[in-house]
Amino acid sequence: MANHSQLGFQDASSPIMEELVEFHDHALMVALAICSLVLYLLTLTLMEKLSSNTVDAQEVELIWTILPAIVLVLLALPSLQILYMMDEIDEPDLTLKAIGHQWYWTYEYTDFKDLSFDSYMTPTTDLPLGHFRLLEVDHRIVIPMESPIRVIITADDVLHSWAVPALGVKTDAIPGRLNQTSFITTRPGVFYGQCSEICGANHSYMPIVVESTPLKHFEAWSSLLSS
Amino acid sequence: MQKYSRTKTKHHKQSFKLLGFLDVKNVPCARESVLYGSLGSLVVGLGHFLATSRVRRSCDFAVGGFICTMLGYWFYCRYNLAQQRIRQRMLKEGMRNKMLFEGSSFDPEKKQTGNERSNS
Repeated sequence: MANHSQLGFQDASSPIMEELVEFHDHALMVALAICSLVLYLLTLTLMEKLSSNTVDAQEVELIWTILPAIVLVLLALPSLQILYMMDEIDEPDLTLKAIGHQWYWTYEYTDFKDLSFDSYMTPTTDLPLGHFRLLEVDHRIVIPMESPIRVIITADDVLHSWAVPALGVKTDAIPGRLNQTSFITTRPGVFYGQCSEICGANHSYMPIVVESTPLKHFEAWSSLLSS
Repeated sequence: MQKYSRTKTKHHKQSFKLLGFLDVKNVPCARESVLYGSLGSLVVGLGHFLATSRVRRSCDFAVGGFICTMLGYWFYCRYNLAQQRIRQRMLKEGMRNKMLFEGSSFDPEKKQTGNERSNS
């Protein structure tokens, strides 16, 4: 989860999120270069005397056409690579359905058995000591780590959005439509997210908690759930 | 009731943000890029000034040198970092597969020794 006053990304826990963080660093470096140039040109302009002697500026016009094109290519190529990487769905080991309601999520594991449960936010008054306010839920999603997981997302009433920043996932939940996303968690842990599409009075109070565990623990949990 | 003292714990690594947005301390390769860029800017700007004694044009070259050196080192460093990460991932997977398949029919070392025996 994010710490207080955190502005940057959370630590990446999936390969896609790692790529996104690297791309973000790359984009910021390009932005630093551009800002340095603009700052310098601004300083020059402020120090120069005003003059209307320039009538022909072919060379500078060539530079300020080609240079932005180069910058756009530098940003577009890694961006498109990640975009297509995010769309790859490579034989998922598990398919999970997430259904958004006002104001809770329902999860279904229907690959092998019909397992289904609702996930409500834990109210602050019932929160155990040390747990996170507005982030904890009564029933977490448990998934096996280092396995490709497919999530099919929809909604029952209004628009919602299923988002987990640490995994680099955000997909809209639209009534009457099935949206698909996938991810692989690279390590065990608990990853928090919140509904990311305004959906009414309690939009801020329907969090998402994903618990990534080794396979044997996931099997133990799913057999406990089914019994 | 137990009292909990408020201790200031560092929940996040300290950051130093250049121009308010680029965290040079925590982003890999950023610090080196900016430092090499500054060095490149000094060399190019000073070199041009010593050669031509034109202050304004030397400053232009210095800024150009900073941007080119910084971006050039950035791409070089990130490329090497990406290669290193791929190698780390392959090593990690290789070590895990070795532990998993040791002694089984999938063990690549067993297949190699089997081939040597059949060749002899």
